[in-house]
Amino acid sequence: MPATILIVDDSKVVRGMVRGALTADDHRVVEAPGVREALAALDAETVDLVITDVNMPDADGLALVRTLRGRPRERFTPVLVLTTEGGEDMKRLGREAGATGWLVKPFDPEQLRHTVRRVLAARAR
Amino acid sequence: MSGEIRIYIGGVHASPSPTVIKTLLGSCVGVCLHDPIARVGGMNHFMLPHGGGPGEDALRFGVHAMDCLIGAIMKAGGDRRRLVAKVFGGAHVLAIKGPLSAVPRKNLDFVDEFLAAEGIPVLSSDVGGHCARHVHFHTGTGRAFVKRLQGTRARAVVEKQSRAVVPPPYGSVTLFDENERV
Repeated sequence: MPATILIVDDSKVVRGMVRGALTADDHRVVEAPGVREALAALDAETVDLVITDVNMPDADGLALVRTLRGRPRERFTPVLVLTTEGGEDMKRLGREAGATGWLVKPFDPEQLRHTVRRVLAARAR
Repeated sequence: MSGEIRIYIGGVHASPSPTVIKTLLGSCVGVCLHDPIARVGGMNHFMLPHGGGPGEDALRFGVHAMDCLIGAIMKAGGDRRRLVAKVFGGAHVLAIKGPLSAVPRKNLDFVDEFLAAEGIPVLSSDVGGHCARHVHFHTGTGRAFVKRLQGTRARAVVEKQSRAVVPPPYGSVTLFDENERV
């Protein structure tokens, strides 16, 4: 079922790649180049899923996850971290921050779609 | 004291400490990125602009190699807003006819478009032509040294290198709630 998905990544090219992968499944995509813009977008509308990078110039993506877990509207919104960080310590920090899942770049578009379907289906149950 | 590392097709390396990154480029492109304030830099070496599928080495493709290089530099303490680029390679080293003969030009066009989209200025480049290139990039200073290789030996080295790479897979996926990889 089509969902509204917020992509947070400071790279315009990566946002375009993720958007291309997700719109192939008919999802509506909202883009933000940083944490501040992401929070502004979430103030404006409700989304079904957030996909965020970790290392961004304005703030850490894990800080975004922690912030969302403290906001009533996004407390249970699934958040996938999409990052070049592949270490187990970083994944543990992501889990502790409240992330739903951790995808290491480079990503396979089909694998991303598959993961998004699973996360959205789990949320619907 | 500086360290040294050599990268091959699909290679991406960035370092928080001064390191000399070496590579040999034919039709492939190597992009060096440097943050002059943090004195952090890195280099990649990719084969084609786009593509890849399950089981293929995603970092052979520029779109992934560039993103991963930027990520590695930020992890090393760099700031993407300060990055500057130097671009090398994209030569017609192998005597290839047909559609593959356009690969060097496509690689270079991709780099131009990517760096423009990300707002990263190109300080210098040595691209195109028919010579393979040895590139040494100093991550601390951002200086790059290029030596052009002539003749059949250069072609042999580039061909051997292109066959020697073992492709790593795409990155992993972990769902925490289910505590499993998908």
